Amino acid sequence: MEYSQAEILQTVRMTEMEHLDVRTVTLGLSLRDCAGDSIERTAERVRAKIERTAERLVSTVDDISGELGISVANKRVSITPASHVAGGAQSVADCLTLARAIDEAATRVGVDFLGGYSALVQKGWTNVEDLFLASIPEALATTKRLCSSVNVATTRAGINMDAVARVGRLIKEAAELTRDQGGLACAKFVCFANAVEDNPFMAGAFHGTGEGEAVINVGVSGPGVVNHAVRHAPRDMPLHELAELIKKLSFKLARAGELVGREAARRLGLRFGIIDLSLAPTPLRGDSVAEIIEAFGFERAGAPGTTAALALLTDAVKKGGAMASSAVGGMSGAFIPVSEDAAMIDAARVGALSLEKLEAWTSVCSVGLDMIAVPGATSAETIAAIIADEMAIGVMNTKTTAVRIIPAPGKVVGDMVEFGGLLGTAPVMAVNSFNCADFIRRGGYIPAPIQSLRN
Amino acid sequence: MANEELIYRITRAVYGRLGAQADERTVENLVTDIYRAIEPVVDGAGNGGGDAGGRSSSGARRGLTAHGGEAEGSSNRLIVSVFGVDHPGIVAGVAQILAESGCSIADINQTVVQGKFAMVIIADSTNSNAPVATLKERFRAAGDKLGVRIYAQREDLFNAMHRI
Repeated sequence: MEYSQAEILQTVRMTEMEHLDVRTVTLGLSLRDCAGDSIERTAERVRAKIERTAERLVSTVDDISGELGISVANKRVSITPASHVAGGAQSVADCLTLARAIDEAATRVGVDFLGGYSALVQKGWTNVEDLFLASIPEALATTKRLCSSVNVATTRAGINMDAVARVGRLIKEAAELTRDQGGLACAKFVCFANAVEDNPFMAGAFHGTGEGEAVINVGVSGPGVVNHAVRHAPRDMPLHELAELIKKLSFKLARAGELVGREAARRLGLRFGIIDLSLAPTPLRGDSVAEIIEAFGFERAGAPGTTAALALLTDAVKKGGAMASSAVGGMSGAFIPVSEDAAMIDAARVGALSLEKLEAWTSVCSVGLDMIAVPGATSAETIAAIIADEMAIGVMNTKTTAVRIIPAPGKVVGDMVEFGGLLGTAPVMAVNSFNCADFIRRGGYIPAPIQSLRN
Repeated sequence: MANEELIYRITRAVYGRLGAQADERTVENLVTDIYRAIEPVVDGAGNGGGDAGGRSSSGARRGLTAHGGEAEGSSNRLIVSVFGVDHPGIVAGVAQILAESGCSIADINQTVVQGKFAMVIIADSTNSNAPVATLKERFRAAGDKLGVRIYAQREDLFNAMHRI
């Protein structure tokens, strides 16, 4: 037989029992040809283009998923940052018109989320972007599938602290507007440093301006597979051998993901873009990044040493994936969204995992503080300061970092906030309560670091 | 299904050249002409592969749309894996579904260890009269009846994961 019994068993076990899935097939779509003089015209063109291009996305991906026997959790669309096509907007209401048109198109094509209600303001905002930023809270509160992101810092430009402060206020406003849903709007919003242009994962996906007309990007996943392997490895296996084990698995995960992506691109007549190797957890038991870390030899995720373990994990995942595919992009590392990872929730509830430890993790993982609920009483300045810390890690280390934080209205430390579905359930975590408002009120910008001068 | 896809791709290419304002009837005629012109070639590739490649042990990778640039061609072979508690009739049950669907068995490997049944079949679905989804549904129903788990997955996945 061309494949050994062990190889076939391994694949069946991965796809059927260890939740190996393709987390998302995301159609990246340029809307730059949709900008019109009036927002009504723009909205109409945007709606038509999304519906036309993504019409067959869901059914095609479902077919491939059935034939290969590998589940594809989500089908999504990412678009050119909407602020770039909102040139005709005269008011916040105009921006909202555009937001609703995009959301309706997403509903029509049957994707669960659409990313790209975004603005890149690391050095400042234009007049239209000013209106656009103001529209984000209501846009998220009054739509279902729309996701938004704002890039406030890059290694090249430094950190726009005026934008950071503004995002802090924006997040508070979004939380208030969705008070009866635990601040759900904030779960659809990400603030970035060094945002990537081909990220297929939500909420931060957008189709960068350097991208082509339309591409298929794939986010592969498989914490369950890695978790199973690490748990079944001998307890005294040295760390470098564990790294080797994870590398080999990551190779296989990436190959499976790329197969799905290329096949989808071929059938849709689109270009294949990238595969994002990130390990992304789901609320399912076993499909957890925190459980992998714990399997290294920790009582709980968040214990001393877990930053080192996460560094090893992220690096091994990248190395295996880089060998598997020459189209690796996106975030590619390990995601640590608290609300979407059962073991992470447990660790936070018993006090093993703090906001500060998560922040340390983000210096070695793929993104940043993700899906973290904090008390509703947390001030806009404190949220901005948390963002500033995270942006500094990204800017100084020339990596992408992000913050997706939910100041859950009326909730206090220890409460749980239910977002439903993939967004999961977040334990409200404690925030350092010492005042930082004067720092944020200074405004201005933090200059680009010396490592930005590389030419 | 594959033909539908091809027509869709030609239509896209035509619209791509002529722009979205192109006259619908012209496009339709153009697509029909192009499709008619290439249909014999496309069909020939599909059937020819079936005859010549059926014997080859190199795992002939082919398919109607395998010409798509650098894209990997889709294999017409399925890997059917069956696991459960051993009892008479499992092989027969699975083989019957394959036979009824017009799939031939390219390779088969079956063992019983301590009463646990395991079988892997590589099936060629080139001449199958049912789409993979239907085949999978038949396997699911048969699996329920036989008390075993039957998984059918396209060979491409195994090739991607286990071969460099």
